[in-house]
Amino acid sequence: MSQYLPALALLILAALFAALSFVGSRLLAPRNPTVPKEAPYECGIIPGREPPQRFPVRFYLVAMIFIVFDIEIIFLYPYVLVYRELALAGLVAIAIFAALVFESFVYLISKGALDWGPPSTARQIDPSLVSAERTASTTIRKVGLEGRLPHNEVAA
Amino acid sequence: MIGQPYLIDVDWGDLVQAVITAVISFAVLLVSVMLMVWFERKVVSRLQNRIGPNQAGPFGLLQTLFDGTKLFFKEDLIPAEADRFVFKLAPYLALVPAFLMFTIIPVAGDFSNGHDGSVMVGGEKMFFQVIDPPVGILFFLAMSALGVYGIMLAGWSSGSKYPLIGSVRASAQVISYEAALGLALASVLLVTGTLSTNGIVQAQSGGFTSWALVTTGFVPFVIFVIAGTAELNRPPFDLVEAEQEIVGGFHTEYSSIRFALFFLAEFMNVVTMSAIFVTLFLGGPAPAWDFPWIDLPLPGALMGFIWFFGKLLIFLFMFVWFRATLPRLRYDQLMDLGWKVLIPLALGWLLVLAGIRVAQDNNIGLADTAFGDTLIILVIGLAGLAAGAGLLAAAIKNARNEASAVALPTSGIVGMED
Repeated sequence: MSQYLPALALLILAALFAALSFVGSRLLAPRNPTVPKEAPYECGIIPGREPPQRFPVRFYLVAMIFIVFDIEIIFLYPYVLVYRELALAGLVAIAIFAALVFESFVYLISKGALDWGPPSTARQIDPSLVSAERTASTTIRKVGLEGRLPHNEVAA
Repeated sequence: MIGQPYLIDVDWGDLVQAVITAVISFAVLLVSVMLMVWFERKVVSRLQNRIGPNQAGPFGLLQTLFDGTKLFFKEDLIPAEADRFVFKLAPYLALVPAFLMFTIIPVAGDFSNGHDGSVMVGGEKMFFQVIDPPVGILFFLAMSALGVYGIMLAGWSSGSKYPLIGSVRASAQVISYEAALGLALASVLLVTGTLSTNGIVQAQSGGFTSWALVTTGFVPFVIFVIAGTAELNRPPFDLVEAEQEIVGGFHTEYSSIRFALFFLAEFMNVVTMSAIFVTLFLGGPAPAWDFPWIDLPLPGALMGFIWFFGKLLIFLFMFVWFRATLPRLRYDQLMDLGWKVLIPLALGWLLVLAGIRVAQDNNIGLADTAFGDTLIILVIGLAGLAAGAGLLAAAIKNARNEASAVALPTSGIVGMED
């Protein structure tokens, strides 16, 4: 195991470096925490919602499908190191194995397991949106003038 | 009765050597990260018609050092809702694997006149890498996978919504591209026949044509570079810290030196990943060709380092160039590229490559000659690839049809149906 000693030494060195950095920061940095500073980040306003407790199931699906491929990779690595000795028999075996994994992968794809976002084909343009009737004066609503006196009356 | 005095028998010579190696590589890594940050800022500036840092030190070289020092004097905040232990642990988990990943890279070596990259130091054969385990590539994969924990736990422990979203995105992205990365890497292992990085470099030391870039047929290289960029969360795959959507991603709540350590780990990973590209596909420190007409008065190991550094610069520049040029992908585009293009392509390419090489050096008896065998296997392989691609296209089409059949009423426009 002595060949791993340098890596172990580097591991300790890196951890020490991080720890000493924290000590240095603790000695040098000012510390006056206030409630707003310690609140979870929200672009300058008071957070209205808690962080979500649940996540889209697609993330879990990705993790599960990844495991399938990870296992395939685990089997492929030994194969690529000894494929010369296994010759044709090994090639056929690994091709069948890959085909089986690929087949289930295709099924997952066809069921939309790896689709994200809204379906792009469902988008239809409303023809009234592109007519010549729409001009700057018909589509823009001026706000904030209600109940206010016209400019010239204020002057008078 | 004399028992075993120690559990592990320590050889002090080995220990001293290990510590010296570790200290040197530690210093080299820190300096290279410092220079990489400077390089990125300088090149991006030039690409955007700016000057970039030029005040601190010559050419602004010390800018990173100054920035790092400044961060020591900044207030270190831990959000009220944070899980304090994990919040403090996460920077370590990001930084330590980043350091360890570099240990398997051969950074120099004497390949002149048919040497095998080793150098004699004090009568001992030495290779210019920190460790050379027989499972070097698995060590790299393990460390790159461990780095995800730092990001994931940092986002989760912050107790804040943007870091959480960033870290969930990061884990899904990294595991998606790890599959493509691993499959493209298998092609390199196929042609070099070993898991040791030193062995991989030696297998490619026969000049330009023996590089895995050429012998694997270029496609695994492209897949590996794309997947490697995504693993690093570098642009155009930086959805993990997409400022417009989720502020700073997983390190939104980190300030002061804790943030600096994440930043350090990130750039160290950029340097290491570039070095991995060089090692796997461009032969590491092995020269692209010999110079029989010039007899440089340099020791062979130094020439090895010059070759390595030159190749490394190509990829470092490439990462910066990506950042300055390419717009960020959308999340569905990212997932589609990884799962529906890179993974099937890498898998199919690996099988065809294995088939061709089996046909080349074994008499499998499909035709009279090895060349005939190779041709037949190639035709079968390409037919298989085409069939797979067709099947995949049909599956994608089916998924799209099913989704649009159930998704929306047809009357309105997306986003306008109240």
